[in-house]
Amino acid sequence: MTFAELVAQWLQQGLKSPLGPFAPELVISAAIVGALLVRLGGFDRAIPAWFVALGGSLLALLLAVTGLDDVPRTLAVDDQLLFTGLLRLDPWAAFFRVYVLLFTALIVGLIVLTRLVDHEDNPDLFAMLLGATLGMLLMCSANHVLMLFLGIEMASIPSYAMTGFFKGRRQSGEAALKFAVYGAAAAGILLYGLSLVCGILGTADLQEFSPKLALIFGDAALGDRVAETRGLALGLILILAGFGFKLSLVPFHFWCPDAFEGAAAEIAAYLSVASKGAAFAALVRFLAAIFDPTIPAMASMGYGAGIVLGGVAILTATLGNLAAYPQTNLKRLFAYSTIAHAGYLLMGVAAWLVLLSSSLVRQDGTPAAQRALEGLVYYLVAYLFMNLVVFAATAMIRNQIFSEDLRRWSGLGASAPLLTGCLAVGLFSLIGVPPFGGFIGKLFVFSSLVDASSLHGIFWIVLAAGAINTVFSLFYYVKILRVMVLSPRSAETAGELNVEWADNSYLLMITIPIVVLGLAVPLVLPICQWAAGPWSL
Amino acid sequence: MDGVGLEAYLIVGAILFGCGFACLLVKRNAIAILMGVELLLNGANLNFLAFARFTSLGLDGQVIGLFVIVLAAAEAAVALAIALNFYNNHLSIDVDSAKELKD
Repeated sequence: MTFAELVAQWLQQGLKSPLGPFAPELVISAAIVGALLVRLGGFDRAIPAWFVALGGSLLALLLAVTGLDDVPRTLAVDDQLLFTGLLRLDPWAAFFRVYVLLFTALIVGLIVLTRLVDHEDNPDLFAMLLGATLGMLLMCSANHVLMLFLGIEMASIPSYAMTGFFKGRRQSGEAALKFAVYGAAAAGILLYGLSLVCGILGTADLQEFSPKLALIFGDAALGDRVAETRGLALGLILILAGFGFKLSLVPFHFWCPDAFEGAAAEIAAYLSVASKGAAFAALVRFLAAIFDPTIPAMASMGYGAGIVLGGVAILTATLGNLAAYPQTNLKRLFAYSTIAHAGYLLMGVAAWLVLLSSSLVRQDGTPAAQRALEGLVYYLVAYLFMNLVVFAATAMIRNQIFSEDLRRWSGLGASAPLLTGCLAVGLFSLIGVPPFGGFIGKLFVFSSLVDASSLHGIFWIVLAAGAINTVFSLFYYVKILRVMVLSPRSAETAGELNVEWADNSYLLMITIPIVVLGLAVPLVLPICQWAAGPWSL
Repeated sequence: MDGVGLEAYLIVGAILFGCGFACLLVKRNAIAILMGVELLLNGANLNFLAFARFTSLGLDGQVIGLFVIVLAAAEAAVALAIALNFYNNHLSIDVDSAKELKD
């Protein structure tokens, strides 16, 4: 096809061309360029860069939400493919696009409210933030190994730079160095794993994985094709290690506390929610492509992988909660809490994979696997708001008293009742106490573990570990509230809190959804069911 | 080209990957670790190109190879800037001197 024919085809297709559904990504790209260009010629005195970033992310969010109606809800995969199959815009991708863009808009708003960066640095930070967002959007809809890797790298590289954004701070520089070195190594390992899997299958298109696997294995068991099985298993282990780094799973979690402590609380919040959400979306899509349950060999490999992931999830949740307990730096404490929650979420992924892999053996396997995915999505939605609330409250308190040390927070609660109340809602939701969103999310994930435990006994252990961890996490979350509310002001307490109305209304705006998610389950569940429906993945 | 099969390329790729991984574990200088990362990426890249030549991966493998070269350059640029900033703050690029953040 010549270039002229290509242009003619585009013009002919009009809005049906892939550029229509791709509009949110295009708007974000334009906002990146805009944020950098406003500095030229002094335009930023009239239009500050944050305005471009906020406007761009809100417009992209609007386009992504209005585009939800046009997402093909069919079982024919071809209708969902964009750009000759490089991207796939199914309900799963469309949902996570909205998820990432909503969080980006909220974080840009928070950065503007807390005045994290001065006028000079505004364009740089927002260009990197939106660049990382673009990478995450590609991760959500990637249908090709190239797009998957490109998205992960586009999300990671700006994250390293944002972690070290405050150049003069020693902690910030150290955190960025650790994050960049470990991150680059993880990217190399992930790429090597991808090269093995692509090479053995002879394709890089996720839709082609299952036909190629059927060609290699057919009805044979894993043991009949030793060379391919070994290569695939090695490749998958390396890929899971790469994803494990992005998701901060034990034993690839060590960067997370350091990076969060060195970065500003707003940036830490971004790393903790948006990048986790996008990485879970990409992980589930990749696993669904490779572990096709209709091929017996892959079904048994997927079953094994699910059990391994269940074990990793136990370790991740337990270690995160145990390590969080003695922390006094709030960002470090929430970093370990992020690790623990990655563990709970991975429990859902493990249950889904095991249920999916045995869906041919068991009649109700497919619906049960779908319920597991729905629970995962619900948990991620609740996680967005509850984690944002705690990080936002940390940033606001830091702005007032210049300290993120819990010992200096004692007795501060009385001077800012609304902030403390919102923080309390966020913390109780993170524990998983009714009637908040975190409870419902955990309930769904744990019920899918019960489904999976009828297939393999290890899921009873995973469930028990989840329950014990939930109880244990109570201690360190409640400790924060105890120090702030019940403890008297001490000599170490730094000043008074004087929260502005804008900060208070922002906190209220993101706290209300936590309560809604806990009380109005029938309102939110259909969205999750749509995202994880049979037309996805 | 005759006589050099897929396996030869894969072995060279695996050796590159192994060298890079050893570099990550042994070296304490941040720049040397980043050089190890380049070896990891190039080992993977060689795999992609060899598979592109010998299997049905075809053009996809070559395009991935091109993109990875660009990504490696971008990653190196950011990582070197971060290493320079670390040097300005700590007067060293020894990763063992990065130990102020810990439990």
